[in-house]
Amino acid sequence: MVKHVDAIIVGAGWAGSIMAKELTEAGLSVVMLERGSERTTPVEGAYPESIDELRGAIRKRLFQNLSQSTVTIRNTIDQTALPYRQLAAFLPGEGVGGAGLHWSGVHFRVAPEDLRLRSAVIERYGEKFIPEGMNLQDYGVSYEELEPFFDKAEKVFGTSGEAYRVQGKIVGNGNVFSSDRSDNFPLPAMKDTFSASVFRDAAKNAGYHPYSLPAANASRQYTNTYGCQMGPCNFCGYCSGYDCYLYSKASPNVNILPVLRQEPRFSLIPNAHVLRVDLDSTKTKATGITYLDTKTRKEHSLSADLIILGAFQFNNVHLMLVSGIGKPYDPVSNTGTVGRNFVYQTITSSRVWLPPSTYTNQFVGAGGAGVAIDDFNSMNFDHGPLGFVGGSPVWVNQAGVKPIAAALGAGGGGTPRWGSAYKDSLVNTYKHSLGIDAHGSNMAYRDVYLDLDPTWKDAYGQPLLRMTFTWKDNDIRMNQYVVSKIEPIARAMGATKMNLVHLNAGQPFDTRTYQTTHLGGGAIMGDNPQTSALNRYLQSWDVSNVFVIGSNAFPQGMGYNPTGMVAALAYWAAHHIRTTYLKSPGPLVKA
Amino acid sequence: MEPTLNAPRRRSVVKGLLGTTSFWLASGNARWSEALADEAAQPYRPIFFDIAEYQFLEAACERLFPADHNGPGAKTLGVAEFLDRQMQTPYARGENWYMSGPFEQGPANLGYQLPFVPKDLYRKGIAGVERYARQQYGKGFAALSALQQDEILTALEGGSVQLGDIPGRVFFEQLRTNTLEGAFADPLYGGNRGLGGWIMLGFPGARADFMDWVNQEGASYPIGPVSISGETA
Amino acid sequence: MKGPLFVAIILGAGLTGSAIAQDADTATLEKGRYLAAASDCAACHSVHGKPEYSGGVSFSLPMGKIYSTNITPDPEHGIGHYTEAQFSRAVREGIRRDGSTLYPAMPFPSYARMTDSDIHALFVYFRKGVPAASVPTPDNEIKWPLSMRWPLAVWRWVFAPTLHTAISRTAGEFTDPQLARGAYLVEGPAHCGACHSPRAITMQEKALTADSGSLYLSGGGVVDGWTPPSLRQENRTGLGRWREEDIVAFLKTGRAETGSVFGSMTSAVLHGTQKLKDEDLRSIAHYLKSLQAADQSQTPWTYDSTITDQLHKADLSLRGARVYIDRCAACHRTDGKGYPAVFPPLAGNPVVMQTDPVSLVHIVQAGATLPSMTAAPSSFTMPAFNHKLTDQQIADVVTFIRHAWGNNASAVSAEDVKQFSKSMPPSDMPDDTPALN
Repeated sequence: MVKHVDAIIVGAGWAGSIMAKELTEAGLSVVMLERGSERTTPVEGAYPESIDELRGAIRKRLFQNLSQSTVTIRNTIDQTALPYRQLAAFLPGEGVGGAGLHWSGVHFRVAPEDLRLRSAVIERYGEKFIPEGMNLQDYGVSYEELEPFFDKAEKVFGTSGEAYRVQGKIVGNGNVFSSDRSDNFPLPAMKDTFSASVFRDAAKNAGYHPYSLPAANASRQYTNTYGCQMGPCNFCGYCSGYDCYLYSKASPNVNILPVLRQEPRFSLIPNAHVLRVDLDSTKTKATGITYLDTKTRKEHSLSADLIILGAFQFNNVHLMLVSGIGKPYDPVSNTGTVGRNFVYQTITSSRVWLPPSTYTNQFVGAGGAGVAIDDFNSMNFDHGPLGFVGGSPVWVNQAGVKPIAAALGAGGGGTPRWGSAYKDSLVNTYKHSLGIDAHGSNMAYRDVYLDLDPTWKDAYGQPLLRMTFTWKDNDIRMNQYVVSKIEPIARAMGATKMNLVHLNAGQPFDTRTYQTTHLGGGAIMGDNPQTSALNRYLQSWDVSNVFVIGSNAFPQGMGYNPTGMVAALAYWAAHHIRTTYLKSPGPLVKA
Repeated sequence: MEPTLNAPRRRSVVKGLLGTTSFWLASGNARWSEALADEAAQPYRPIFFDIAEYQFLEAACERLFPADHNGPGAKTLGVAEFLDRQMQTPYARGENWYMSGPFEQGPANLGYQLPFVPKDLYRKGIAGVERYARQQYGKGFAALSALQQDEILTALEGGSVQLGDIPGRVFFEQLRTNTLEGAFADPLYGGNRGLGGWIMLGFPGARADFMDWVNQEGASYPIGPVSISGETA
Repeated sequence: MKGPLFVAIILGAGLTGSAIAQDADTATLEKGRYLAAASDCAACHSVHGKPEYSGGVSFSLPMGKIYSTNITPDPEHGIGHYTEAQFSRAVREGIRRDGSTLYPAMPFPSYARMTDSDIHALFVYFRKGVPAASVPTPDNEIKWPLSMRWPLAVWRWVFAPTLHTAISRTAGEFTDPQLARGAYLVEGPAHCGACHSPRAITMQEKALTADSGSLYLSGGGVVDGWTPPSLRQENRTGLGRWREEDIVAFLKTGRAETGSVFGSMTSAVLHGTQKLKDEDLRSIAHYLKSLQAADQSQTPWTYDSTITDQLHKADLSLRGARVYIDRCAACHRTDGKGYPAVFPPLAGNPVVMQTDPVSLVHIVQAGATLPSMTAAPSSFTMPAFNHKLTDQQIADVVTFIRHAWGNNASAVSAEDVKQFSKSMPPSDMPDDTPALN
């Protein structure tokens, strides 16, 4: 006899935990399945044992164990994709809390025009401005519709920041390009590190509009809307790759799970690798899921009325493909939807050296804190003469540079990578330099997509997901343009030397060095079932009792970090499930 | 090969466990710092590497990270010991790597595609470098001059040398990566002795609290490092 | 248990006679459940992982080990054969059904104050609201002649209040109904004095009620390695600087601006006080605030920033300062103010200034976990430092915080710390951390 629950949630990260909270509030019984292990701060974040770079960011304790499951990657359709065997370019999470446990904490909303980028580009520059082969699309949802859910998420995350405009009134020195807010940030902005303050002054003097990054690192102790408490961030720098020992970086584990675990209608099953969503014979209704208990290696099935996929972006797409939800994307005919519009972000980190009398103390940092400018992000500048779509915020986000990472990254590009001269440059770089990032958008292209690999399989016998991805001219030129704007700022900062890093024409995506874990798309939302896998409520067009929550829904990779958007989309979807779907299950939008 | 000296039994029991809960339990010391000090007080006997391999590591790591005016080198920092201890961890067995075949080689930017885990890379790589050193200079690597050693390392880094079935550059990158880890990891793992790596960089270690020092207007952070076990400098 | 009430509400005016009776029974049973929480019966009669109230909690006393009994309605091992009168005698007078006397680990001298109607509700709850569990109570491990129970009867006769005196005191002692309710709860069911009042050599509490002298709740002897502090109005070592809302927050959530729960009190909050109504918690706080300082000599604590300024300037010359900055300041801050109510303050904290430093040393050695509470679901952990600091380092750092920020308690020596490590409570840190790689 298969156990029945009202709702099954796949993945115990932000998306899953938000949905579990919302659905239990609605009175549903919920089982949340997590393929990784249980994770709690007293164990993972024990002080001072967790202040251990080798165990954390280097041996990657909290990240996905690739020996069980990975992806294959190729740059172009005519190549053989090869397995991503060692974690490097991107670092998906695993275990309770998911990537939400080891993330940095930059917590943005969205640039409103990014939600309707196709329409905005056409309105301003005409349809011909869109390059051939670019699948530029709108989300099908507006900023005004999402605003209450951004607000709700910030009050759960304990987000620190400085607003610019609240209910039509200018209230502070926030981001002048940001849209109207219904309320302030729940916590004041994080302090500026020295590096950030130098950047703030220089950017301002250069005529730009610096603002404090919105951070889900608590600038003071905080009790959120669920009664969950956070400690204050003390800039220890152990955010990305770590479970925050001060309970000050928002995570599902700190901000939602404490209250969910008290909820009798909720249960969490760790070490449960979901093999597939089970569909009925019509393939239009899910009946439940089948998972493998990775400890006992036994398969179990659960039945449910409602299935939420809340796994990491590409795992959601993988589950849809192996389960037969929706039509797989075909890049040749540009038809089908699952795997379409796979996107990433264009991120390059430049370095600026200050005089030897100035110490940047790069180990002082917080993953979400820093100072940014949006003058070259989204539609905030004139693309007309530039001829590309998209943009990048530029920022100093000193997240706490640890010595092993600094040592591995030092040298190269003309300076020795070992020996005494290398040590000279390492010490000088560590003590006196700072990083400036261009953290940009990545557009979707017809021949950049996800499908199932024909050769390699995971530890459970299922085909690996295959990524076909490389950098395209539009994004390379965008990155080069924005990076060129860093130079005068760096000069104004008093740079004695700088190393401006940008993408180069013809340079393929390289899987060997870390760029970002901000993967997106593959099962995108939209208003047309021919070009999107999900409707505007993140409901599968094809199987209406399946909702797919995550950055997989983004039609383009945006300049901002994705977690805030994912959280808002989760609350948005949950709202419509609670207010409409549960009263009358079925498609929320007529196909 | 087995340790040749009559090392105390406790030591051989706990060696591979350094830094784990089991280590603290097995060490029998009430304080972690004392357990580590006891370990450090005795000459290290490698478990994974044989004596010749260990001598290669001591020599090669010191060239990669030499003692100089910046601070101690790999030998003083205990990098070879760190490497030997790491060889007894899941990392060395590639337990977090996807190691299912087939193993097809492709463009470099698609990443590592060899069927070897770190343990294999060291065993094969060291043997290959020793062969190369004898071919080129008629002596084992450790017996060469610093200049000759640097020539070999430069050749490996440049990608012109193949070490049997391992490209020289792959071995070089593995060795460089682990050497730098050993210089800067918490001393819990056997390297970064006396917190020498951290002192060099001004890194404060496991204190992890900058509430009073978020922005010092360009002055350096004023307090010396502390390790997880409580060693200070 | 909400079912019948709910039915009663939706039936409205159409209630039948039996529904009314059932409703009244339910109300009594729920009142009993509430009183069982207020009396913290579970702390002593429930073991994690075993049926609720089936006993078996061990108590290590100077004369040997005793075990709490099964108080479920099981006829063989529990109290299924007790009549209400027998139940009342056991709870309020310490006399078992067979006529022998209970060990005064059972706080019957406090429960003596409970009213007949409360005892009735408690009886109904333990009869009908608790499932019977056939779990035998382990035999006590007390050697003859101390194993004889008759001397206990003499003890009871000499020291325990008679029902008459106890109950008559309750009535009319306070004209303010809030104070009266607070007194009833603190002196009666909540039996705070069992730990927080000093005991004489013959083990009786030196005072059982507010009107029996200022020793009442003036701080007790060591229990399980923790020294219960004074709950009276001493400025430095008592609740003199705690506001009523701090006390309410502490009892409801285990955490307040002024401090967080640890040690044996954690279980009292977890199983007991967090379940009390706000109104009752306010009464308790109001009553505690009415208890004058037993020690009238304490100069008021005021914050002194000398140490803060030194640490801020990285002046670590004072003994213990380096350990403090390396191991403690991350959570408790260089200013000692902590991050209330997440990480408790050390500056001005009565526990830090207690004469007996054993609690302070033990919390450094063993750490503590503040568990998830209904009204405050977050759990916070202080790590154990017994493997990370030497006795001398612990002595130095504990002495440092007892002197810093206006605190003025005595120094602690390495020898003290060594002694205390013998009675160190088990660390409640999870120790199943997987290998670090």
